[in-house]
Amino acid sequence: MRKRIWLLILFLVPLTGCYDQIEVEQQTYVIAIGIDKTDVEGKFRITFQAANPEVGSTISSGGSQEEPRETVTLVGNDLIATKDTANSVMTKQIALDHTKVVVVSEELARSGEFLRLIQAAARTTELRRSVQIIVSKENASDFLKNNQPLLETRPHKYYQYMLSRATETGIIPEADIHRFFQITEGDADAFLAIYATTQHAEEKIEGNEDQYIAGQIPIEGGNPTQFMGSAVFKEGKMIDVLSGQETRIANILDDTMEMEALYSTYPDPKNKKYRIAANFTKDRPIDVEIDYQKDQPTKINITVPFSIEVIGIPSLVDYSQNGENRSLLEAYIPKFAEEEANNLIKKTQEEYKTDVFYWSLYIRKYFSTIEEYEKADWNHNIYPNAEINVDFKLKQLYFGKMIDDSNIGEVRD
Amino acid sequence: MFFKGKKNAEANKQVPLSRNLEKNTTHLKQLFSSELNKDFSTREITARYSNKRIKLFFYSSIVNSTKIHEGIIRPLLEAKGENLPSIITLEAIKELTDFDSIIDDINSGNVVLLLEDSKTAYSVNVADFKHRGIEKPENENAVKAPKEAFTESLNVNISLVRKRFHDKQLIAEAKPVGNRSKLDVTIMYVKDVVNNEILENVRERLDQLSVDNVRNIESLEQYIEERPYSIVSSLLYTERPDRAASYLEDGYIVLMMENSSACLVLPVTFWSFFHSEEDRYLRFLFGNFSRIIRLLAFLISLLVSGVYVAVTNYHSEMIPPDLLLAIVSARERVPFPVVFEVLLMEISFELIREAGLRIPNPLGPTIGIVGALIIGQAAVEANIVSPIVVIVVALSGLSSFAVANISMNFTIRITRFLFIFAASFFGMLSLTGAFLLWVMYLASLRSFGVPFLAPLSPSYKSTNDTVFRKIIKNEYFRPGQIKPKDLRKKG
Amino acid sequence: MFKKESRLRSREAFAMIILMIGVKISNTTPSLFAQTGANAMWLMPSISLVVILPSVLLLYYLLKKYEDKNLVELLEDVLGSHIGKVIAFLLFLIFFVLMAIEGRSYTEQLKLLYFPDSPTPFVFFILFAIAFYGAKRGLETIGSASYIFLFYIKASVLLLAVLIFRETITDRIFPIFGNGLKPLVIEGAKKASIFSDVFLLTMAYTSFDSSKKFRLGVLSGFAFVFIEMTFFFFLYCTTFDYNSIDKVAFPFHELTQYVDMGDFFTNIETFFMIFWLFAAFIKYMIYLYFISWIFGAVFNIKEFEPLILPFAFFGIVAGMVPENAVINELVFKSSFMNMITPFFVGFPVLLWLVAKIKGDLRR
Repeated sequence: MRKRIWLLILFLVPLTGCYDQIEVEQQTYVIAIGIDKTDVEGKFRITFQAANPEVGSTISSGGSQEEPRETVTLVGNDLIATKDTANSVMTKQIALDHTKVVVVSEELARSGEFLRLIQAAARTTELRRSVQIIVSKENASDFLKNNQPLLETRPHKYYQYMLSRATETGIIPEADIHRFFQITEGDADAFLAIYATTQHAEEKIEGNEDQYIAGQIPIEGGNPTQFMGSAVFKEGKMIDVLSGQETRIANILDDTMEMEALYSTYPDPKNKKYRIAANFTKDRPIDVEIDYQKDQPTKINITVPFSIEVIGIPSLVDYSQNGENRSLLEAYIPKFAEEEANNLIKKTQEEYKTDVFYWSLYIRKYFSTIEEYEKADWNHNIYPNAEINVDFKLKQLYFGKMIDDSNIGEVRD
Repeated sequence: MFFKGKKNAEANKQVPLSRNLEKNTTHLKQLFSSELNKDFSTREITARYSNKRIKLFFYSSIVNSTKIHEGIIRPLLEAKGENLPSIITLEAIKELTDFDSIIDDINSGNVVLLLEDSKTAYSVNVADFKHRGIEKPENENAVKAPKEAFTESLNVNISLVRKRFHDKQLIAEAKPVGNRSKLDVTIMYVKDVVNNEILENVRERLDQLSVDNVRNIESLEQYIEERPYSIVSSLLYTERPDRAASYLEDGYIVLMMENSSACLVLPVTFWSFFHSEEDRYLRFLFGNFSRIIRLLAFLISLLVSGVYVAVTNYHSEMIPPDLLLAIVSARERVPFPVVFEVLLMEISFELIREAGLRIPNPLGPTIGIVGALIIGQAAVEANIVSPIVVIVVALSGLSSFAVANISMNFTIRITRFLFIFAASFFGMLSLTGAFLLWVMYLASLRSFGVPFLAPLSPSYKSTNDTVFRKIIKNEYFRPGQIKPKDLRKKG
Repeated sequence: MFKKESRLRSREAFAMIILMIGVKISNTTPSLFAQTGANAMWLMPSISLVVILPSVLLLYYLLKKYEDKNLVELLEDVLGSHIGKVIAFLLFLIFFVLMAIEGRSYTEQLKLLYFPDSPTPFVFFILFAIAFYGAKRGLETIGSASYIFLFYIKASVLLLAVLIFRETITDRIFPIFGNGLKPLVIEGAKKASIFSDVFLLTMAYTSFDSSKKFRLGVLSGFAFVFIEMTFFFFLYCTTFDYNSIDKVAFPFHELTQYVDMGDFFTNIETFFMIFWLFAAFIKYMIYLYFISWIFGAVFNIKEFEPLILPFAFFGIVAGMVPENAVINELVFKSSFMNMITPFFVGFPVLLWLVAKIKGDLRR
């Protein structure tokens, strides 16, 4: 008899399970979290965007009329505690394990309150360190509501593809929470977060392919959401926005960023009306030489080795065969790149008083203890006064698979 | 003393033959209840060489009557000679003096001749037990391997082994087992390779058996194993003579019996159950490839259902979002918890399996396929289980077939249920613990003194034939864990 | 049947010592080190090693000289029955407290990271129940299991190292001495008891196939695990900046949560948790077994295996004493490790001196 009772208990176990047992369908999987400011200090408007499992799944037959995502906005003091309040609207327990992005409104980011909130979130194990931080020009709740992808309707797919591709091209930085904390707590350098918006700016500015920030790109069709440029965070507080081009330069000059080849155009040195399209590749880590003296301005020499593959020369100037033209181009492109880089560095030195390239890493070698290093003060002392010299070294110049362009004059004859 | 072997039978009190033929005949007939026993036959003839009466006793159902006629009756009636052995032309003739051995001989298919005025009886082997011919292996199929399998005849089986291994040291030692019906268990081994301790252990165990009757190898396995409650078997059951021969060569011991179309190999390790003989016939890469697949099947079969339960119930963050959402959307209309779903499908799979085994042959294939398909398909459509569970269970069921050995197969199938329970109890924590304890249980086992996971751990000088095998030319050693007398195989 | 020989070879010793010490890479020990070491904490194991190594070698030298004696027998032989027993009992107490403290720390990790809703005693109970059943199967089985699982545990750790390598920034180890050389050396020396398991394992000195194999296994495993520890501390230092590293309670789990394998397998920490659990279970099996063994040896209990159950139970009770995990880690564990370091450094020297004076070493 006792054996039978034991057996009964044994069979009851799987049906009830223990404390943490929860079925997958009893959870809602939040993909994006939005955080906005409210008028009251210490209170935030928090938006949860959850994926609807029934959309895009071939297994289930019904429910296809449902929305692919559910977006809920509410006011709360803390991200995790608000989860429970959200259950007044959402039916299931909220899981943040699959969250891909945290969207912060520019207003909140600039107020500096953001650090408070996100630090609490880092305590839980639910929110991963690999979650990306997006700063939206408008309110985060509006951003999440207006973001209506046409093709990737399932939100997790949208963020996954969108962010990984845009990061590859360098127009937005890689901005996960882990990096945010390392840089912010390190108290040197500035952190770059992704900048995005769903609102289009009134005046469209004419620019080249990457000289925009989000909202300014003249795009027709598609989703209103634009990811372009980056938000600069100094000591956990947003201070400025960098354009796509500046973000690219920052990515190139920062070795801790994963940077793949990117397509860009450069002014044609022979015919200023046209621009040359080229593929820029940074194939080796940059070389940073620092000459640190305690009481003198630090000298920083940076060498960026890169190679260029020319893919289009609309001006039809012969750069590939003509040796003279080629050396002109070889000299021109690095010069152009250096100029752009120097502009950005100057901006960071004068306006931000800190760098966005994580260069404080290189100066650490000159100190043996943290105390000395902190005393030397990268942000206030070393960087703003440093003499920085950037040297772009063109290692190789390719000309694609065509030897020569067809002569338009001859074709038209 | 319950175990009377032939050798120590002489030491016991025996009833000797008397000089009086009539008296002997009556006694013998009484012993065999000849008036009831229809096939117990007696024949009386007068021999020409001595002009005396001779009586033949035998079971007509288990002897070859032509042999009796040609080899015994005709010579006795026609030939002249000095004595009986010189007249009878058949190969084996024995002299017997007591009734016990007469009974044994008649039972095992001999003709016993009782002579007038003689205290000795003669016994001639004319046994003709019926058995199947040599057929293909039924359960241990192979593509690139000999196709002969053992059959239910001891002599044939021994012949199949001897055919493969020509060595004067190959011994086929007989040991009678059973108090009532005495049957020989044949212990085969290579005398100058086998480890004496193990051999002694086996002999002891056979001696200590006190049962009326051990009919075949299958029951013998359960009589001599060390741990009847254990989840793994400690003897290997195989129907392939080539496998038996290769084990013999390595110093293992093979047990055979009349009436079994298989043999037992001992001692075993985990690897004996895991390997198949075909691995050695296939080339190095091919053989190892099939072993990887089998290892994979082994693990999938053991763990996949348990892991699915643990992950969906406790660790949903681990599932890639697309798959997770797919599972969620499929499960939203399923009325049961995941564990219940998985158990339901696992049990129906076992049902199909058990029913498929017992079903009359012509119906077999239909039920198998139809049952699987209908249960799977219909259960999904009726929202009783989610399609992913069907995949998981089908995968674990399919994989279990790749573990060919029947004992290991049961081990895995039972363990799988244990793991599902463990997983549902506390997710990965309890599943990991259960798996660890299971492996430790295997590691702590010994089969006839040999550690079950050797030579993985503890290690011995051997060819390290565990998951992977070496190139056949580089296999220099016999398995060191069974301590063969001659460790080196070649080179 | 082959009762005379032991199943334990050098590879089992190698595996056991690696699992016992190696587990410390993945629990709260690194964060303990990081409190003072900051980004230079990867240098601290080397300092600890320098402090503890002479004593370790001395003890192994003595064991070799005295032949066929395990730790407690050696103590009794050299120091006499009474003092020897007292020291052996101290050893027992130290390892028992260590087991309780670390058991609690493991439970808290499991609870916080994977089973947030479950009560601590319950998780603790499961952890020790499994360790108890494993320990019951005996030393040989534990040794075999260590060896069998060692490869898979280390393979998973290697995979983690490879995956996290993309995220590391080598320059973060600078400034090279972190908070300064002096605190670094002092703290490193204080925490030398991180390697105390080498002493515990000498209980099994006579249970191995040959003492030579035992020494070879333990010392090579010790070398391996030291390198592994330094390498992993280095990884922690390069993944977290100096201001963040002391805020991270479970660096190993932070790494496993952070890494991903491509875009599809983004949350793979449970995968690493499996192997981490294997290691933890085996570690507690070894601990439970050895603690009972020392206890048995001190009080002349030949059949000490029934003692495993009460010790597992008392381990849970003792582990539940601290009120919360942070107190357990930062107060109890840290000060306890500091306290026992002089003992481990000292007692082999004492043994050696006594043996030298007694003249035993000239044999």
